[in-house]
Amino acid sequence: MIDFIYVLPLFFVGLGAISLMIVSTFKSVTIRKGSITTLVFLSMAFISNLYNLNTGDEVYSHYPFIDIFNKMIIVDTYASYFSTILILGAILTILIGIHYFEKHKEFTVEFFSLFLFSVFGMMLLVHANELISAFVALEIASISLYVMIGFEKVISKRIEASYRYLVLGSLAGVFFLLGTSFVYGATGTTTIGTIGDMSLNTFATNMNLLIIGGTMILITFLFKIAAFPFQNWAIDVYSGAPLPVTAYMAATFKAAIFGFVLRLFIVDFDLIRDFWDDALVYVIILTLAYGSFLAIIQKSLKRMLVASSIVHTGYLLIAFTSISALGESGASSIIFYLVAYFLSAVGAFGLIAYISSDDHLRITYDDFRGFAKIRPYMAAMLSIFMLSLAGIPSTIGFIGKFYIFTGAIEAGNTILAVVGIIATFISVYYYFKLIAIMYFYRSAEMTNVPPLKGVAPVVIAFIALAIIWGGVGNTLVAYFPGVDLLIDMAKLSYESLFVG
Amino acid sequence: MADLLLSYIALAMILFSIGFLGIISRKNIFIVYMSIELMLNAVNLIFVALGRYNESMEPQVMAMIIIAIAAAEAAVFLSLIVVLYRNKKSLNSDIFNVLKQKDTANG
Repeated sequence: MIDFIYVLPLFFVGLGAISLMIVSTFKSVTIRKGSITTLVFLSMAFISNLYNLNTGDEVYSHYPFIDIFNKMIIVDTYASYFSTILILGAILTILIGIHYFEKHKEFTVEFFSLFLFSVFGMMLLVHANELISAFVALEIASISLYVMIGFEKVISKRIEASYRYLVLGSLAGVFFLLGTSFVYGATGTTTIGTIGDMSLNTFATNMNLLIIGGTMILITFLFKIAAFPFQNWAIDVYSGAPLPVTAYMAATFKAAIFGFVLRLFIVDFDLIRDFWDDALVYVIILTLAYGSFLAIIQKSLKRMLVASSIVHTGYLLIAFTSISALGESGASSIIFYLVAYFLSAVGAFGLIAYISSDDHLRITYDDFRGFAKIRPYMAAMLSIFMLSLAGIPSTIGFIGKFYIFTGAIEAGNTILAVVGIIATFISVYYYFKLIAIMYFYRSAEMTNVPPLKGVAPVVIAFIALAIIWGGVGNTLVAYFPGVDLLIDMAKLSYESLFVG
Repeated sequence: MADLLLSYIALAMILFSIGFLGIISRKNIFIVYMSIELMLNAVNLIFVALGRYNESMEPQVMAMIIIAIAAAEAAVFLSLIVVLYRNKKSLNSDIFNVLKQKDTANG
C-alpha cells in the first residue's frame, strides 16, 4: 500500500491521459471540458506529489514494487522535487493556453491526452533508475511532443517543425541506445547505482568501452538540451511549434532531461566524469557565444526567446561542470536555476502566446512599439520576465545566476564564470531592447490585443509576482516560504541521491 | 566465442554507419525513415549478441522493448509522411524550407 502512495502522481497522470483518450471520441466533450479534466488530474497528481515531497528535513529513497519493477523506478526526494516542477509547468501551460487552444480550430481533446502522456513520460524519466526504462520514458515524452508540435496540420510550418524534430530526436534516441549497449557490454548491467559499482570492479579492462558509452549518452543529452554542436534544430522546432507548446517544451523538457542526466552522472559516472570536463569547457563557451549571436540577430520575439534559451543552457552547463569539485553547491544550483528559468520562460512565452492568440499577427520587436501605452499592466509583466531572464537583481533569475557563478568560481572554473558573466552582459541588449521599444517609442498601431480578463492574465500576473517574491521575499518577511525554501529543498534533493 | 562477438558487433557498427550516412545524405523522407530503423536494429543486434555472449536473458528483453518503441515511432513517422505528402505533393525533404527563411519572423 505504501508503494502505491509513492507512485500515485505517476498513476494519476497516466490515468488522466488514458481516460481523456477514451472520452475524446464523444462530440459533447469540448476543449474547455477537456482542459478542465486535464487540470483536475494534474492537480491530484500535484497534491499527491507534495505529500511525497513534504517529509520535513528527512530525505528518503524508495524502490516501489521492487518485486515487479526490480529497481527500475525510484521515488526519492530528488525525483519528487523534479516531478513538482514538471507538474507545475504542465498546470501553468494549460491555464495560460486555454485561450489559445479555444481560438485555434485545429485543436481537439486528443491534444490534452497527448499532453498528459508527455507529462507522464517526463515524470517517468526523472523517476527512472535504469537506462532502458529511461529510454522508454524519453520516447513517451518525445513521441507525444512530435505529435503535439504538428497538431495544427494545415499549417505547413508546424508539420515541418514536427518532421525535423522527429528525425533528429530519433537520431539522438538511437545514440542513447548505442551508448546503453556499450555500457551494458562494459559492466553487464544497466541499473543506475550498479553501473558505478561494476565500473569499480572492472576498472582496468573495460574502462574505454564505458567512456565511449558515456560519451554517446552525453551526446544525446547535449542534443536534447540544445547545446552547441547540436543546437540548430532548437530555433526551427521551437519557433515552428504553437506558442503554448513552445513554452511547455522550453520550460519542462529541459528540467526532465537534467533530472535524469544529473542522477546518472552523479551516481554512476563519478569516476570518469573528469574525462569530459575539457571538452565541456569548449562546448559551454561556444554555446554561450553562438546562442548570444543568434539571439542578437533575431527580429521575432519568439525566436529571440528561443535563441536565448540556448544561452541559458550554457549557464546550466557551467554548473554541470562545476559539480565535481565541491559537490553540493554545483548540483543544487542547477536544480534551483531550472526553477528560476522555468518561471521566467513560462511567463514570457505564455504572455506572448496570450497576446498573439487572437490572430496570426507577426510578433516582432517592432510590433511592440508603444505597447506600454495600450496595455500598461501587460507591458509591466513582460518587463519583469525580461529582467528576470537577464538576471537583474530583485528577481529570481538573479539569484539563480548568482549561485551558478559562485559555484563555478568555488570549483576553480573562473574562466567559465567570466565567460558566463560576459554572456549575461550581452543578454541585457536583447532583453532590454524589448523594454525600451515598449516604453520609449510611440506608435499605437497594435490592434486585436486581447484585454486583461479571463484566467490566463491572472496566472501570468501570479508568475510575475512569484518571480519578484523569489528575488526579494526573504529579506522582507522572515519565516515565510520564499527562495530559501527552494534552495534548501534543492540541497535536500541532492542529498537523497546518496541515500539508497 | 569472443571472436564471434566481435564480428557481430563489427556488423552492427557497419549497419549503424550506413544508417547514419543515410540520414545525413539522402533527401527522400522514406529513406531517412528506413535509415533510422536500420540504426535501431543495429543496436538490437548488439544487444542480442551480448546476451548470447553473457548467457543472460536481460539484453534479449531489451531488444524486444526497443522493437516495440521502434513500432511506436514508425506509427508517428508514417502518419507524418502522409501529412507531408498531402501538403507538398512530394517526398523530397529539400522543399520543406518554410522554417529556413531566417527573418520571416512569423509567430
